[in-house]
Amino acid sequence: MKEITVAVAGQPNVGKTALFNLIVGQSVEVANWPGVTVEKREGFREHKSYRIRFIDLPGTYGLTATSIDQVIARNFIISGEADVILILVDSTIPERTMYLLLEVLELTSKVVVVFTKSDMTHSAGVHINYDLLEKKVGAPIVPISIKTPDSIGSLLDKIIEVHEREPSKQLIKVDYGELEPFIRSVEEVVRESSLANEFPARWLAVKLLEGDRDLESRLLKRGEIDLLKKVRSIQGEAEEILKLTMPEAIATKRFSKVIEVLQGALIIKGMPTRGRGEHLIALLYKPWIGPLISMLLVLALFTIVFTINTGFPLNVVLESIGLRNLASYIENYSLSHLVSRCFDYLSQVTSSILSDSILRSLIVDGIINGIGIVMTFLPLIATISIVLAMLEDSGLLPVIAASMHPFLRRMGFSGHMVFPIAVSFGCNVPGVIATRASPNFGERVRAWLTIAFIPCQARLIVVLAFATALRSLNGLVLMAFAYATALLVFMAVNKSLVIMYRRRRLYEEPELLLEIPPIHAPIPRVIWWITWNQIKHFLIKAATLIFLASLASWIMLHYTSSLTYTDDYSLSIGMSIASVISPLLTPLGFNEDLAKSIGFALIAGFFAKEAVLSTIAIIADEEVPAKALNILGVNDAQLVFLTIFTMLYVPCIATLVAVYSESKSFKITLSSVALMMVTAYAISMLAYTVATALMH
Amino acid sequence: MLNLADVPRGCKAKVVTVNAPGMWGMRLLQMGITPGAEIEVIENSSTGPILIRARGSLISMGRGIARRILVELISH
Repeated sequence: MKEITVAVAGQPNVGKTALFNLIVGQSVEVANWPGVTVEKREGFREHKSYRIRFIDLPGTYGLTATSIDQVIARNFIISGEADVILILVDSTIPERTMYLLLEVLELTSKVVVVFTKSDMTHSAGVHINYDLLEKKVGAPIVPISIKTPDSIGSLLDKIIEVHEREPSKQLIKVDYGELEPFIRSVEEVVRESSLANEFPARWLAVKLLEGDRDLESRLLKRGEIDLLKKVRSIQGEAEEILKLTMPEAIATKRFSKVIEVLQGALIIKGMPTRGRGEHLIALLYKPWIGPLISMLLVLALFTIVFTINTGFPLNVVLESIGLRNLASYIENYSLSHLVSRCFDYLSQVTSSILSDSILRSLIVDGIINGIGIVMTFLPLIATISIVLAMLEDSGLLPVIAASMHPFLRRMGFSGHMVFPIAVSFGCNVPGVIATRASPNFGERVRAWLTIAFIPCQARLIVVLAFATALRSLNGLVLMAFAYATALLVFMAVNKSLVIMYRRRRLYEEPELLLEIPPIHAPIPRVIWWITWNQIKHFLIKAATLIFLASLASWIMLHYTSSLTYTDDYSLSIGMSIASVISPLLTPLGFNEDLAKSIGFALIAGFFAKEAVLSTIAIIADEEVPAKALNILGVNDAQLVFLTIFTMLYVPCIATLVAVYSESKSFKITLSSVALMMVTAYAISMLAYTVATALMH
Repeated sequence: MLNLADVPRGCKAKVVTVNAPGMWGMRLLQMGITPGAEIEVIENSSTGPILIRARGSLISMGRGIARRILVELISH
């Protein structure tokens, strides 16, 4: 069967995810683009003796990249790897979204155009004569909406048609008017370049005149620096004569061409009406009220998610008003509780079947326990994905980002960081990855260093156990204190980093530039697609890592430094490592043995924060962590120290891996560990001192 | 001539130049904020980012960027 490769490209928010999934259904394969952690999604569809391979490109506004994601889209489009390029245009805002189409048509004629959201044109007051437009553009146009999936068949026909026909000459020629003489001069120059074998000379001339960084660096790599100098001098001459920068002049001409093409084919009747969505946008934009509503909205959504998954915080609230039964009911039937009960049962059954002690310990404590941890995370990841997909698909997220921008600016972040910070309350790993949304590199570095101060779900579980083990202090107060401390530290550290960077004149004021798409009710199918992708991603990546980490901690706990199996944890590898750090814990009044045990538990927490509890449970030989702490004789002030320390110390290994894979810098990764360790030790020592003083 | 951050809510303006540095400038142009383009200011409170409509779509923009865009008022 013959194969056709189709690149799916479009500006952000044109409905690309929805269309891509409509075409390929569930046959999606997720991989990474070479060298970067940006997801590459591919899907297949068979049609008329062809196997059509669709590649989903990251959204991009034009062919000059302005972020990492866009570099990928642009390079794939210009590489010629795709047989046909599918360009998506938003029917409700054709003028803006046809810009990318025009840029691609300047390069190739192997293009099929899709006008998305075609069902929404009428309410937007937009009327498009597609036949006329098709004649003027020269490439086939297929209007599609997610509610009329029947047109997919005709789209596939057009793709095959374009693939089979001879490549025609340029379909659209943009008239650059007074720029033309300069373009021709640059064209003469680039004909000498080796790049002219790969790209049309006129296209190269326009892009180089526009100041395309990527093409410039390609020239430099090939040692064609003299050529680049000639181009730059023509560029300078043109800017001086025309009194406009080249990017401005070129973009203006392209938009004039778009308007010329749309002339007669597009009628916009009346002013766009202010729908309910736009009133909501206006409300969130109000000073003070807007950020407050945004914050409450995000808080409410995450409260619901956490309650479904762990019972917290609803259980604590119910307990404090005396509804103890209802609280424990909610806790027992929370998703993560149900999953962990299943795994407890599985462990019991397995233990009773296996008699060999090493094998039993490996399977029960190592493997089943490891998979169990992964599976208890799964419902949480899934529900958080659903909430975030809903915020994203409905178009609410960009408005929330804009309304929180002034508040976040105070600690050196832009509104682009709302999403990463919100996700981090669930898990820091997707939070670190989500920092990509920001085009401001300095802001991303500061986020990589500090985002792990945001208390994730795993730390919540540990801190809850510590709080229940308290004897005379109030657990709820401790929890509130711990969360407040973590957030204050996050803000204070960021504020200090801003001051530090500003002194060194490295600080760039965080800026915001976001498109605000119309708000609409989220589409369940789209939500499901996004969520399913996240779950798959988690199961493959995070799960293997967590699984390996729990195997590693099992080995550290059950093997001596001479690599022989032992049942006595005090002889294990982990313990010998713990004895190195135990002197740091003796000032807290722990005796030497206890200092070692606690130190060991904290080391285990590096793999996954929940492991702090399971390790304490193993050491005390008591399954309920709170009782285990009491058996070990940990007092209230020491629990305060442990609570604050667990909140703030090293990011877990999965977060560190994420920081490294995003930053590609050992310096940044190790700095984040150092920053957290020092801050955690200092703040929790302070908390211990205060707690001791209060209790006497 | 004034900068976009100073255009009051509800006013329309025509872009004269886009002066933003580096990638911000390129992104603005690609989003349709080019010399000659008409812009309507939808929201503009003194603290937060401004909200504008350009070529049919809504765009939220930090004040620092808005200050780099020079415009001429069209109507009040």
